[in-house]
Amino acid sequence: MRLVRWKAAIPLGLTMVVVAMFWWLLLDHAVERAVEYVGTEIVGARVDVASADVRLARGAGAVLLRGLEITNPDQPMRNLVQAEGIAAQVRLLPLLEKKVVIDTVAVRGVRFGTPRRTSGAIARQSPTTGRVARTVSQWAGRIRIPPLSLQGLTTVVDVSRISPDSLRTVALARAIAHRGDSLRETWRAELTGLNPEPQLDSARALVQRLRQADVRALGLAGARDLVNWSRGTLTKLGQVTDRVKAFETRVTSGVGSLRSQLDGLAQARQADYAYARGLVNLPWLGTPDLSPALFGEMAVERLKPVLYWLNLAEQYLPPGLDPRRQPGPDRVRAAGTTVRFPRSRELPAFLLVYAGADAQVGGEGAVAGRYAVTLSGLTSAPALYGLPTRLAAGRVGAAVGPRTGNLVAVLDHARTPVRDSILALLDGVPLPTVVLPAAGATLSLGSGTVQLRLARTGDEIAGRMSWSSNRVRWARTDSAGAAAGPTAGPSAGRSTEPGIGSAAWAQDLLWRTVSRLTSVEVEVGVSGRVSAPAIGVRSNVGREVAQALRREMGDELNRQEQRLRAEVDRRVEPHVQEAEQRVAAVREQLESVVAAKRAELEAARTELEDQIRELTRRLPVRIP
Amino acid sequence: MLVLLKLLQQLVKTLNSEGTPGQVAAGIALGAALGLTPLMNLHNLVIVGAIMLLNVSFPGAMLGWALAVPAGFALDPMFDFVGRVLLVQTPALTPLWTTLGNLPVVPLTNFNNTIVLGSLVSWVVLALPIFYLARWGVGRYRVTLYPRLVRSRVFQALTASKLYNVYRLFRPE
Repeated sequence: MRLVRWKAAIPLGLTMVVVAMFWWLLLDHAVERAVEYVGTEIVGARVDVASADVRLARGAGAVLLRGLEITNPDQPMRNLVQAEGIAAQVRLLPLLEKKVVIDTVAVRGVRFGTPRRTSGAIARQSPTTGRVARTVSQWAGRIRIPPLSLQGLTTVVDVSRISPDSLRTVALARAIAHRGDSLRETWRAELTGLNPEPQLDSARALVQRLRQADVRALGLAGARDLVNWSRGTLTKLGQVTDRVKAFETRVTSGVGSLRSQLDGLAQARQADYAYARGLVNLPWLGTPDLSPALFGEMAVERLKPVLYWLNLAEQYLPPGLDPRRQPGPDRVRAAGTTVRFPRSRELPAFLLVYAGADAQVGGEGAVAGRYAVTLSGLTSAPALYGLPTRLAAGRVGAAVGPRTGNLVAVLDHARTPVRDSILALLDGVPLPTVVLPAAGATLSLGSGTVQLRLARTGDEIAGRMSWSSNRVRWARTDSAGAAAGPTAGPSAGRSTEPGIGSAAWAQDLLWRTVSRLTSVEVEVGVSGRVSAPAIGVRSNVGREVAQALRREMGDELNRQEQRLRAEVDRRVEPHVQEAEQRVAAVREQLESVVAAKRAELEAARTELEDQIRELTRRLPVRIP
Repeated sequence: MLVLLKLLQQLVKTLNSEGTPGQVAAGIALGAALGLTPLMNLHNLVIVGAIMLLNVSFPGAMLGWALAVPAGFALDPMFDFVGRVLLVQTPALTPLWTTLGNLPVVPLTNFNNTIVLGSLVSWVVLALPIFYLARWGVGRYRVTLYPRLVRSRVFQALTASKLYNVYRLFRPE
């Protein structure tokens, strides 16, 4: 029987040819789907390509994508970027190694923030983008924006809401008292265990005997025995004294620790004042301004995308050459895990050497003009490429006015720790409209300047983001006008003066304060871990509001503050006193007792030494 | 439907008389690769080529494929485990995977996927046992089960039925 069916070679060859032709015919569609699939995986929102055209010739491939739309993950009905056409030169040989190396990319017809016909949200994000999105959302959820509610400021503060169990001072004082009791009992038992009395009695009796000792009656041998015995007692006495001294050191240190904890109660009480102030909606005007309350949410919303992209860059541009794991492809069978094994001096799985885009934003709007964007060194294995990824974008021609816009980002993941830096200055860009519910107003920032300066080293990030505008517009919300009634608006006549602390008064005060401002500056500081940095918000609006509050109702607030403090003191003081008494009891009952006992032992030891010395002096021969 | 009937007919014929038990068993063993491993992979093109070119039973391969598909789905967790052990948890093999991963064409087989590698290795290990088991099974079927089946009333009733006439209609001469 023959092993090979040679007559099947021709059908097999034909089958292979059919498969190859099928692949060739579907190549355009396959590239289109691949770009959409990979783009969606990376961005975390839909990426659409209208059509793809692939041409392979003489060792190089030309890929032309038309109608690329990348959805903004934060706004599924808007595109982050839309491009009419993308022409890429792809190396062919690396494709045999399943590597995509793109030498150049030219992008035309780029537009930003265009509306989408259908939602670009995806039902199931990839594990990577989903994880990053969740991390950023959790971070945003953890940021505590202090509330700004001036309503009811001067009404009687409901101090009954302050629960003693919620006060840190009470908990600390109880803990100190408990620890004092516990230490006192422990030390008392230990002191009883030390029991220096027998040694003391023995030493005293020996001293008495030595005083009365007659050398002649004892004889040389008797005197020598007495001296040796006395020296033995002295040694034992010394050992007991050392143990008592060590014990005394521990007691002194323990009492010192208790006293320092007592000192810390003052700090805890300050925290309790702040806590109680939060419970009764009493604003604290001691801080520089009230900006976090006014612009905190806006700051978090604007920082979320920045953190999202930074964290995503870390996922897709990892440093080092360790094997990388990623979920396998979607298929009917289980996806499994795909592991990549990068090797030095080889090409990375993905490399974009250089991309350039000439973006034109039409119209007469503030952002209208021509932009030039370049991107170089974008790779999935920066350690193999060895150079940082650079993104530079700049406005090269503005349609309206002297507008500027520059963005430079350098992501150096070629070595650890990774170093990223982003510097952006955009002038004349449309700024958001911010709703300030406490003031019953909306702030339209108009067009202004945005500055972003971020630096990241390893897991640490530090930076600043600011918005400024010289032509802001304030508007009262309808509900605010209704609530304020006749006092609404800075120029409105006041038929009835609203009472301090009423909703109308609060909104009127804030409105009068902020509506005078024609320029607004908001600055957000970022620092800490890149996955969950801390933010600080400052603005001239917050400072103005704080000053206005001080002017208008500083005395009233001080009075309420005093009342609040007195209430906190009333609830806290008994516990603090109790703790102080317990600590004092430990001092009196143990520290002083131990000190007295140690002094007694030392005195007995000195006396015994003196008597031994006196006896040996009287002997005719020297006893070693 | 006609294709299915035809395939069924081929299958029955194969089991009953066409080809030696060894050819049928070899076909089943090769066909099992198509069912055990994820289908759309380069190595399966090689397997299909082998089935066509080697003197093994084609219907046997189809039978092996059909039988192995549900097994493949059911054993995916095990394949994932095997692949993970080989790709991730065996550092001694990392240089091998790194070399293979940077060779031309080899990465197109998706060998660096835990399911693909795990299932392929499992098939390689199971291929010989499948072959011997199938050869024994086909032999036993032809010697013992099939004659009894022919004599059974059910079979005789079946052959006398219209369904059998339809079967005969597509029976190759």
